[in-house]
Amino acid sequence: VRVSAALPTGVAALLFESARRRRDAEARLVARLEAAGYAEAILPILDYLEPYEPLLTAATRGELYRFVDRDGELLALRADFTPLLARLLAPRIQALEMPLRLFYRGDVVRYQEERAGRAREFYQVGAELLGLAGERAEREVLRLFLELATSVERTAGQDPLALQVVLGFAGALDGLLLAAGMDDPVRLAEAVARRERGEVRRAGGIGGIGETLLAVLENGVPERPEDLGPDAATRLLRLQALAAELREAFPGVLLSIDLAEFARSSLDPRLAGGTGDRPYYDGLVFHAYAGRAALPVGGGGRYDRLFRALGAEVPAAGFSISLERLLEAAA
Amino acid sequence: VIRLALPKGRNLAAALAAFRTAGIALDGLDGTGRSLRTRLPEAGIEVLSLKDWDLPLYVTQGIADCGIVGSDVLEEVDGDLLVPLRLHAGRSRLSFIGRNDREPALPAPGTQVRLATKYPNTARRVVDREPWGAEIVKLSGSIELAPVLRLAELALDIVQTGRTLAENHLVEIATVAEVAACLVVNRASYQRHRAFINDWIGRLEAAEVAS
Repeated sequence: VRVSAALPTGVAALLFESARRRRDAEARLVARLEAAGYAEAILPILDYLEPYEPLLTAATRGELYRFVDRDGELLALRADFTPLLARLLAPRIQALEMPLRLFYRGDVVRYQEERAGRAREFYQVGAELLGLAGERAEREVLRLFLELATSVERTAGQDPLALQVVLGFAGALDGLLLAAGMDDPVRLAEAVARRERGEVRRAGGIGGIGETLLAVLENGVPERPEDLGPDAATRLLRLQALAAELREAFPGVLLSIDLAEFARSSLDPRLAGGTGDRPYYDGLVFHAYAGRAALPVGGGGRYDRLFRALGAEVPAAGFSISLERLLEAAA
Repeated sequence: VIRLALPKGRNLAAALAAFRTAGIALDGLDGTGRSLRTRLPEAGIEVLSLKDWDLPLYVTQGIADCGIVGSDVLEEVDGDLLVPLRLHAGRSRLSFIGRNDREPALPAPGTQVRLATKYPNTARRVVDREPWGAEIVKLSGSIELAPVLRLAELALDIVQTGRTLAENHLVEIATVAEVAACLVVNRASYQRHRAFINDWIGRLEAAEVAS
């Protein structure tokens, strides 16, 4: 009998050296998480679909592997740890001692069109910090993320891994996007996220909106923070201070603030429904690139509204790292 | 060193002309697209010559930092690239095409036809908005032949001057989108080489060869 070793699209088996390498890297990350006071949460690979229904967008729904269980229940394979952990903690939040520091590791499965570099199963290590509001939590989460992401060792003799971290905050451009007065502000948000200058220029004819948005496309931030409106301007100034502090602590990392990159992360319901990847971020949001590829090796942010949607009021921030992508960049 | 991916074929001339007008020196580049990889040390760039359909993948993966590719291809194989500019030269249209032996009209509401195209994803999105349905037949080339030889009632393809259509007794029924050669940039490269790429964008805009 001849048995084929072929696997379904988008999954891979790690054997020998590749398995050892991933386990080594994982062990290093886990040791750092434990040293930072984070406790492990082991989560199931299967869950009911129903609790996630109100949280899904068209994009995240399309990624889900879901099926009917033998008893007729609709189930989904784990596609994202954060909502899974949130829905387990939300009903118990009153009984838990805050702040709560948790980490997780394991596979997530997401349907993707078949393309090079787009695995459907990938391994994540991540952390969540609950019950700590404001910048203190954001600083802790970002520092821990940078510490972990820069801890992956490269083969001897190679330059250190070039890590680029892009920072922003959800809703930063909402005011401008809505003030442009387009019939379809979601489309304008998409155009900003793709830096389509023609589209943005056409949309921003009124007042200085076009000029401000074009400056954001070019430099990531407007010439004057107050062009974003008072609340967003204050947030931007605080983020700039935090970025300066982190640059000093992690001189090898290219750290930039780019609000256009997160134009699809909005807070206003009129801007909902775009293709932004994780729709629950409502404060700090960041992702990291390593090496040349444009697929982030990790990212995170603040997501208080995820808990709010599940009926719990608790500040929450966290991140995840896609270990295989990070290792591939370091190879 | 910035790696620039240029397409073979239709969009190459438009791209080279735009760069020349904008004063972006690609001296030493063989304009035929036969040389697959050319280093231009003075300009600080390396040029890769790629097929249109492969180019977005090379840029998404960061093998190339940026490139020029048709919006028709980009719509079909989106890889979440930055698309700061669309070149003015060499614009064309993505259109529904049919035989000219009848009134040029889209299928009647409720009917089901066969549609031949190189762009099945785009076709599916477009047909979804129509009141008629289509079985999409993916072909690799000579799309115009499909309605002529009655493989399909309709084709969805690029129309530039319309001369090929007339020669084959075909007619453009409706335009779906304007097609332009676009500057595409890898998201990570943009963060790293922002000044360099913004300089190119500025020059191409100032020379009014792109917007």
